[in-house]
Amino acid sequence: MYRYDEFDERFVRERVQQFRTQVERRLDGSLSDDEFKPLRLKNGLYLQLHAYMLRIAVPYGTLNGKQLRQLALIGERYDKGYGHFTTRQNLQFNWPQLKDVPDILDLLADVEMHCIQTSGNCIRNVTADQFAGIAKDEVEDPRPTAELLRQWSSLHPEFAWLPRKFKIAVTGAEHDRAAIKVHDIGLKVRRHPDTGATGYQVVVGGGLGRTPMIGKVIRDFLPKDELLAYLEAVMRVYNAEGRRDNKYKARVKILVHEIGTEEFVRRVEAEYAQLDGPTVNAPESEVARIARYFAPPAYEALPEDSAVLDAARRADPALDAFVAQNGFAHRQPGYLALTISLKPVGGVPGDMTSEQMRAFADIAERYSFDELRVTHAQNLVLPHVRKDDVPRVFEALKAAGLATANSGLVTDIIACPGMDYCALATARSIPIAQEIAKSFADERRQAEIGPLQIKISGCINACGHHHVGHIGILGLEKSGKENYQITLGGDATEAAALGERLGPGIDAEAVPGAIETIVGTYLKVRTDGEAFIDTVRRAGLDPFKASFDAYVAGEPA
Amino acid sequence: MATDAKAGAKGKGPKLPVILSANRLLEGDVVYLTAGGWTLDPASARIASDAETAAVMEAEGAAAAAANLVVDPYLVPVEIDATGFPRATHFREAMRQTGPSIHPDIGKQAEYAH
Ligand code: HEM
Ligand code: SF4
Repeated sequence: MYRYDEFDERFVRERVQQFRTQVERRLDGSLSDDEFKPLRLKNGLYLQLHAYMLRIAVPYGTLNGKQLRQLALIGERYDKGYGHFTTRQNLQFNWPQLKDVPDILDLLADVEMHCIQTSGNCIRNVTADQFAGIAKDEVEDPRPTAELLRQWSSLHPEFAWLPRKFKIAVTGAEHDRAAIKVHDIGLKVRRHPDTGATGYQVVVGGGLGRTPMIGKVIRDFLPKDELLAYLEAVMRVYNAEGRRDNKYKARVKILVHEIGTEEFVRRVEAEYAQLDGPTVNAPESEVARIARYFAPPAYEALPEDSAVLDAARRADPALDAFVAQNGFAHRQPGYLALTISLKPVGGVPGDMTSEQMRAFADIAERYSFDELRVTHAQNLVLPHVRKDDVPRVFEALKAAGLATANSGLVTDIIACPGMDYCALATARSIPIAQEIAKSFADERRQAEIGPLQIKISGCINACGHHHVGHIGILGLEKSGKENYQITLGGDATEAAALGERLGPGIDAEAVPGAIETIVGTYLKVRTDGEAFIDTVRRAGLDPFKASFDAYVAGEPA
Repeated sequence: MATDAKAGAKGKGPKLPVILSANRLLEGDVVYLTAGGWTLDPASARIASDAETAAVMEAEGAAAAAANLVVDPYLVPVEIDATGFPRATHFREAMRQTGPSIHPDIGKQAEYAH
């Protein structure tokens, strides 16, 4: 894991101290609300529907046990005993008080954490594949790149006031688990087809929100050591030409869309040609220094198969189902990665209590080299578990209420906070997720339905990624009531696609039935072994539209 | 935040009766203006049934914001229910009066039973 150097440590401590005095000046009236707002936002502090909300950065989604324990402590001492993991791999506390926030930031700094770059028009916390360093389809661990970007962007004077927020995601794998095509910049580490050298495919101009767009490839292969200079050129073009006159048109996706990919590439390359690359790019020694922090842990040499696990799986169907559903193949023989679902049926997607955090920190320390990950699907990962240990880990997870075997299934729903917490919301999202999950609670049925991603947002901002859900649900307000639009066919992977509207918006009570109808149609139309998203692609929207229309009209299925 | 409830303030004012809501600066809690100061309990909110009272309350809210006691004060249209409770007519504001719908154990709904 990355460890702060002296510079990082000093920087974070100074920011806490600065914020402490800013809060004091706000309270004694020397800062007005308008003056204070951008300062608190720079430290991840929002004012939400009921209270303040503090967003804590989890760079590239990697944490250790000590950090999770500290989050548990903060949740208990300064919040209401729970936190919420988000689609940007961050953690939000829903109830902190302004007067306590400087102390919270100090507690975070004690474990090398902070809230910087979690808000405002800057380069936000960089996200990455949750199976970084584990996946068999990986060319290179994306986290050293993400960390390099964090250091480069943190204090870069040119990026302190961008036209709008800017989000970067990195994957090092063939299969995209980081949704890089719906970020302002998406990076994919790849090998040059001829020379075998490592470099990046650079995707720009993706995004969700009010105007969703799939990113465009602007460089198919960028040599690895040219990364920072090239991205600096991208940022300069955006910074100079991004629309500052209209915040709804200020994201880089709009610029790319308005001038066209070709013209955007031309401007970036022109800017790049002017830059003195070697002074911007990180020296090789620094890249190597960062990479060393992400070196694999001290694995034991083990056989691929574990007789202990095999026997335990035969004896315990629940364990067997858990491993089958939540296990992820590890590149190291004898090890397994486990997805820990934060989506128990009827629970709040992404929420975790302080107690669970402590229990989970214990498990990660004991069984996973003191490492855990946060996924953009609002789940956690134990990255390196010895297969022999899996039965014991499963027991410990069960005791903590963390053994839900639904990773990637219909009840593993992404939901933003929505109207239950969010000041921008037009409708609730969490109760919708809960009701859908309840109607699909039967585990055998979930398994029969197979992989199906439902994603819900409580307003057009799309924090819940609804556009790229296989089934997307968007909560709006219609005539003073909550109303939900349903889309089909979205995809956040390398085959990225935006979902299409199925029909008219419906009431909250009608949503679970609508999802049942969609799933029912899928089960009827699918060919043997065909996953939901593939059926939608093959059969198109028509059969789904027909049954949805019938459902809305109140006709029996 | 721009909401329907607030949008009315620009024109002829929101539909009466109204109460005045804000967030406390120091804690962030949702509070309501009373006859003397602010309350956490929505049942104790002062109710304006005429435009003059609403204007006076708005001015008090603005003064409290200027004095750094609260942030974002605004009028909230309500309906007085059978128990005399001023229930917000918009579901967003009703949510602020209760707390998250998914956590009946948390927020005003847990602290003040109405
Ligand atoms: C509760 C306070 C929040 C506020 C005020 C907020 C605000 C916003 C806004 C205004 C946008 C649209 C930006 C644009 O299109 O330019 C947005 C997008 C987004 N937010 Fe949030 N959000 C909040 C919470 C969250 C949470 C909890 C998550 C994760 C669950 C999240 C993740 C995202 C993502 C993934 C996007 C869309 C990606 C994109 O930027 O295009 N946000 N948010
Ligand atoms: S999508 Fe809308 S409702 Fe949901 S968290 Fe984002 S801003 Fe709030």
